[in-house]
Amino acid sequence: MATIDFDNVQKSYGEVHAIRDFTLHVEDGDFCVFVGPSGCGKSTALKMLAGLEATSAGSISIGGRDVTELGPGKRDIAMVFQNYALYPHMSVRSNIGFGLKMRGQDKADINRRVEAAAETLELTSYLDRRPRALSGGQRQRVALGRAIVREPSAFLMDEPLSNLDAKLRVQTRSEIVNLQKRLGVTTIYVTHDQVEALTMASKIVVMRGGVIQQIGSPDTLFAEPANIFVAGFIGSPGMNFFRGPVEIENGRAQTRFGEQVVPLSVSPDRLPRGEAIFGIRPEHLKIGGETGGTPVSLGLVESLGTEKILHFPTPEGQAIHSLQKVIGSDDAARDSTTMLARVIDDRRYSDGEHVRVALPEGKVHVFDPETQKALS
Amino acid sequence: MQKRSPLGTFGIYATVIFTCAALLFPIYWMILTALSPRTRLREYPPRFWPDDPQWGVFADLLATQPFALWMWNTILVAVATMILSLTVGVLAAYALSRHRLRGGQGLGLFILTSKMLPATLLVIPLFAIFKSLGLVGSLWSVVIAQATLIVPFATWMLKGYFDTIPPELEHAALVDGCSPLGALVRVVLPVAAPGLAATALYAFVISWSDFLYARTFLTTSESKWTLNVGIATLKGEFVTDWNTIMAASLMAAVPIIGVYLFLERYLVGGLSSGSDK
Repeated sequence: MATIDFDNVQKSYGEVHAIRDFTLHVEDGDFCVFVGPSGCGKSTALKMLAGLEATSAGSISIGGRDVTELGPGKRDIAMVFQNYALYPHMSVRSNIGFGLKMRGQDKADINRRVEAAAETLELTSYLDRRPRALSGGQRQRVALGRAIVREPSAFLMDEPLSNLDAKLRVQTRSEIVNLQKRLGVTTIYVTHDQVEALTMASKIVVMRGGVIQQIGSPDTLFAEPANIFVAGFIGSPGMNFFRGPVEIENGRAQTRFGEQVVPLSVSPDRLPRGEAIFGIRPEHLKIGGETGGTPVSLGLVESLGTEKILHFPTPEGQAIHSLQKVIGSDDAARDSTTMLARVIDDRRYSDGEHVRVALPEGKVHVFDPETQKALS
Repeated sequence: MQKRSPLGTFGIYATVIFTCAALLFPIYWMILTALSPRTRLREYPPRFWPDDPQWGVFADLLATQPFALWMWNTILVAVATMILSLTVGVLAAYALSRHRLRGGQGLGLFILTSKMLPATLLVIPLFAIFKSLGLVGSLWSVVIAQATLIVPFATWMLKGYFDTIPPELEHAALVDGCSPLGALVRVVLPVAAPGLAATALYAFVISWSDFLYARTFLTTSESKWTLNVGIATLKGEFVTDWNTIMAASLMAAVPIIGVYLFLERYLVGGLSSGSDK
């Protein structure tokens, strides 16, 4: 068990900077998730921590020991790979015990620990099989077994659930979290799936273009995103954005959303003059009511039983047409002219229905249109 | 699956039988010639099987010629060539497959172009080099010369095989405490076993069937003759004992047929791997 520190780590391939100014402290026993779109550098950061990629600058410490120049085998870490990377020519028993064998443990001790790990992961009856005779979920557990049997200082996991089907993924997700809590081993977990990040992590590192965008707990990232990218990336569906005027009325700042005047909780002197970008989470929008808010016509209603996702057009003149550029090309699927509301009620909604949408005070996020940073 | 028509089945069998017959006919002819009495060799029309097979030809050969020595020299050369080619080929192929080397692709192609040079073109410069190194007349000269032909192809064959092995396997081995060479030996090579078997067989067969290099570098050193050089000396200036030559050729071919039969499944697997990914 150990703390993990990245100190101003850089990684470049020739002229291309894959990781820039990566500084991070992970507490002992933390479950830290690196999340971001593909190509954001999260796997590179993990590989540098594992010693599988050299750093271009900066230092990495595990348990206070500088490991920057050490090989992967000398860092006292265990890693779970996306494709499991089980040795196909070895039995499950040899796969799990390989790391102990390489460290010169005696045979009896290896056997005892392999069997204990297999019991923890319910693999006892598969110990003498080859990996190809196992299902995806079982292979995944062997990969976990290989990691836990060594009792390392830290677990590193590189998208370990992405090869599983949706149902098994949810199940394995909770198994990993429970296992990590029971063992208390510091864990760094890489994923592109923000739902996985939010549900598993005690600390999330959101990355984009090789740069850390924000570090925080799932609640912090959800409630107080540092910039437009984090706001749009975290949450399912992501935050709605619109353009609006910044007005000062009796010393208080406000904006407009269609017909609705929305008071802002940000101090007026922190706001830009003229216009700003505003964000509201789909679950914070209030739908219905006879008065207040602004009238909209529902474009599409996606029903998941009691939960519904309502699509409606952004009020005229308030759509951000350059939204893809603002959020980043990875979120190109987002249509800037449509907003989403997530409601959980028994009411039936239909396409084309006219409803009133209101933005509650205190739930509206304000972003600087120049720097894209959150203003608070 | 759709049932094949009788005509289709006949066509397939006819093709298979014709191909096998064409391939096996020279071997049959070797056996026939070896067992026929010397006086009947040029008989026309030829007999399909001699009335009086001369089985003693094999014993005569072993009694009159140092056949066992030739065989031993050939085995030494083939095994040494195989080990040398595989060692160099594995390391080169692994480096080309795994490391982003500056100019790596160009280097890979350059290695392949050396395969395109005919052996006869290389024999003169190789002779000059071996002469200055004092290797002419030594089995090492043949081993090294054959390796120059085998290594380029072995490298490319193995590179293709290594490319299909996910690098995460080595990463896992490194994290588990292996050194880079340890990861190669303990994880990559066992996984690449079919590719290695195919490459080893290729090297063994090429080396076993070499005549040019052995004839050029070993002629002056009688005790170092390989099978092919030895058999060639059975052809006299005025009289050629064809049934002895054929008996020797048959005995020379037996080990290679055995190796082929044993490694055939690996060879097919090794050569076709990588095509399905």
